[in-house]
Amino acid sequence: MSLPPDYSNEISALSREVLKHQPHDVLQFCANFFLRRLESQRAEFLLSPQHSSPQGRGMAENSFPGNNPFGSPNNNTQTFASIDEEEENDLVASPTASSFPPNAMDPQSHAPAEDSFGNFAGFAASAKAQQSHPPSSSRDPQSFPNNYNLNRRTSVSAESLNPTSSSSDTFTPPYHQKTEEQQQRLRAAVAGNFLFSHLDDEQSAQVLGALQEKPIPTKGIKVISQGDVGDFFYVVEKGMFEVYVNKSGKLETGLDGLGAKVGAVGPGGSFGELALMYNAPRAATVMSAEQSTLWALDRVTFRRILMDSAFQRRRMYEGFLEEVPLLSSLKSYERSKIADALETKKYPAGTTIIQEGDVGESFYILESGEAEVYKRGNDKSLKRYKKGDYFGELALLNDAPRAASVVSTTEVKVAQLGKNGFQRLLGPVEGIMRRNDPSKETDGVDPLAKSN
Amino acid sequence: MASAAMHKLLHPHRSREENHPGQQNPASSHERQDSAGMERVREEEKHNLMQWEEQKHPLAPGQIQNQEQKHVGYSSEALRQEDFELIKTLGTGTFARVWLVRVKNVNNGDENKVFALKILRKTDVIRLKQVEHVRNERNVLASVAGHPFITTMVASFQDYDSLYMLLDYCPGGEVFSYLRRARRFNEPTSQFYAAEIVLILEFLHEQQGVAYRDLKPENILIDAEGHLKLVDFGFAKKVENRETYTLCGTPEYLAPEVIRNTGHGTAVDWWAFGILVYEFLVGQPPFWDQNPMKIYEQIVEGKVRFPSAMSEDARSLISGLCTVDTSKRLGNIQGGAGTVKAHPWFRQIDWEALYYRKVGGPIVPHLRGPADTRNFDEYEPEPANREKYTKEMSDKWDEHFRDF
Repeated sequence: MSLPPDYSNEISALSREVLKHQPHDVLQFCANFFLRRLESQRAEFLLSPQHSSPQGRGMAENSFPGNNPFGSPNNNTQTFASIDEEEENDLVASPTASSFPPNAMDPQSHAPAEDSFGNFAGFAASAKAQQSHPPSSSRDPQSFPNNYNLNRRTSVSAESLNPTSSSSDTFTPPYHQKTEEQQQRLRAAVAGNFLFSHLDDEQSAQVLGALQEKPIPTKGIKVISQGDVGDFFYVVEKGMFEVYVNKSGKLETGLDGLGAKVGAVGPGGSFGELALMYNAPRAATVMSAEQSTLWALDRVTFRRILMDSAFQRRRMYEGFLEEVPLLSSLKSYERSKIADALETKKYPAGTTIIQEGDVGESFYILESGEAEVYKRGNDKSLKRYKKGDYFGELALLNDAPRAASVVSTTEVKVAQLGKNGFQRLLGPVEGIMRRNDPSKETDGVDPLAKSN
Repeated sequence: MASAAMHKLLHPHRSREENHPGQQNPASSHERQDSAGMERVREEEKHNLMQWEEQKHPLAPGQIQNQEQKHVGYSSEALRQEDFELIKTLGTGTFARVWLVRVKNVNNGDENKVFALKILRKTDVIRLKQVEHVRNERNVLASVAGHPFITTMVASFQDYDSLYMLLDYCPGGEVFSYLRRARRFNEPTSQFYAAEIVLILEFLHEQQGVAYRDLKPENILIDAEGHLKLVDFGFAKKVENRETYTLCGTPEYLAPEVIRNTGHGTAVDWWAFGILVYEFLVGQPPFWDQNPMKIYEQIVEGKVRFPSAMSEDARSLISGLCTVDTSKRLGNIQGGAGTVKAHPWFRQIDWEALYYRKVGGPIVPHLRGPADTRNFDEYEPEPANREKYTKEMSDKWDEHFRDF
């Protein structure tokens, strides 16, 4: 006989609370805790459609109370979920209009409208108001957004992208010349944007190079119109732009068609970044307030740059892995799993990448640059590694100490994989090596197989 | 059943070819509907549909793979929209509408056998650049037809300007509706549904090499017995073990590697599965903001916060699934779906019994009959002025639709 799970959940929640608050009067604390839980749970019950409308449709009648395949027979009266945060600051606290967008019950209207305007506030923030928008990670861990949109969520998708498979037909992103200062300004403008912060140097250079200058000759030009499809992301080089939101969800004709002015974006600011992900309706209208200059980047170019470099790198890694005798029996999908898990690291010249005598944890492939091999008591290098060479692979097999040191002679880029990572993905490397041993294959019996 | 009838049941498309050798071009199929041979095939197919509806049962994984032997998921040249009476809209998408339908002119006793018919307008599919996705959807549904927890596509067909997928009807409606009404599911209910989803993902990934890519409560229906049916395979893709790059899914459920465009595979479904379990237990997904870009920022950061009352096992499962590093993500590591099934949160699940639907579902819909639609919302009627599918479009695109 085990305790009902709901009970265990309550008790462990209580224990956590007790640990957190360290109450003097333990009994009183527990009593208060359960009273609070009971109140919130009953409040929830009263708000449920099942309770408020006895003619309620289908589901409520026979669903939650009981008939639960795993529940203990005694918890049939437990109507709703036992999971519950302490602060009931979500929907239960505000069952009325405020938690439902005006269109909440209309299945035809998806997302946009006013609640996605936050969308825009986000970009504007990147201009100057960084401080006023604390990063989401600093939120109180227990506070859940109390305005969760309860509508059906619409699926999104971008253009279908297929990498160029033949190396003769490589993709060359567009390149638009910029001065050093312009480049620095652009780098600074996108620095706080997570879509750009993950890029490596090469990708970053390609993306910045692809930004195209777009002069805006006069005041009053609408660069993006609320509700329209969006394909471009913009950074302001000079000038000023005003941001308008119409509550109807789209730009309309007539005097008030723009809606209310909600902000402005100046040099170093950016807007329209969602367009770099997929084609979503614009959340606001952005209009020039004076003669200005923009930098523009379209989604397909941006995603193409990211995809192409990811694709090239994976294929390169797979190619390198094919050359490693220890891993020659990997099936191609296993190689691609390993390629996916390889981690790129950069070291300056003169770095000891592996040290003779240390316990080996990782295996390395030299992606660029050069390195040399040394053994203790010998000043001359024994061997020279260049692009595509690999070392340290025995670490995947055993815990024997490194037989030699490897020191970079130039700046190097290595792709690294730990023994743990390898085993997580494919199991012990011994098992994989055994696979294509012909002596085992012919008799069909593997004396070590039992251990698996 | 006589063996000839059985043969027809198993190979309806074959028998048609025997009757009309060489006529395989779908564009011309509706022009010869009046021929006596085609008329006979049509009647047979309708009869077979009735039989399938009456006897439907889950197939074992091996049987599903056997495309030749199973009598579902075929492309029909005989069926057409006129064979079905459209009763009510069950759902709409940007380029598709799903109807509850009844087969017309059938024997007594068969009038209450109903299906769901998904109708796609070719012009919309082309305009929204979904040709490839629609093709993937049809072909994946055909190859998985027969799985106990995936909507069964009985047949697909087309006419001049539309594509059709005939599916089994799930009268319980969307898990989404139940979840929103209940606000959250208790742990046993969540475990039951999650376990059925695990069986689906295990099958799709490990038997079919398919990534589903749009897991969410809106795409999971409840059938008459209270079991789940996964629907809407619009983003499903046979990826085998190659990575793919097209961004698709639902904002709150996108995996970090999809957002970063570094290439993704079946591991995205395990991430989304973690989000789903969280939403079952909490009532809303872990990453949310009014501004979608802020959602994505939280996702790539990957820090899941749990309500204090969530059980340790549930936290551990969700953390394992919602791991940014795919080489550490539960379900994607060595052992695949098996590592998820072995997780302590599922310790009470009898996986074999579950697959064969021997375990009762926690919510069994109250139904007044097989065609009851009260678990579905009301939808606006289809707009009348449709864009015309022109001869030029047909010349350019029909080739792409020939699988239907």
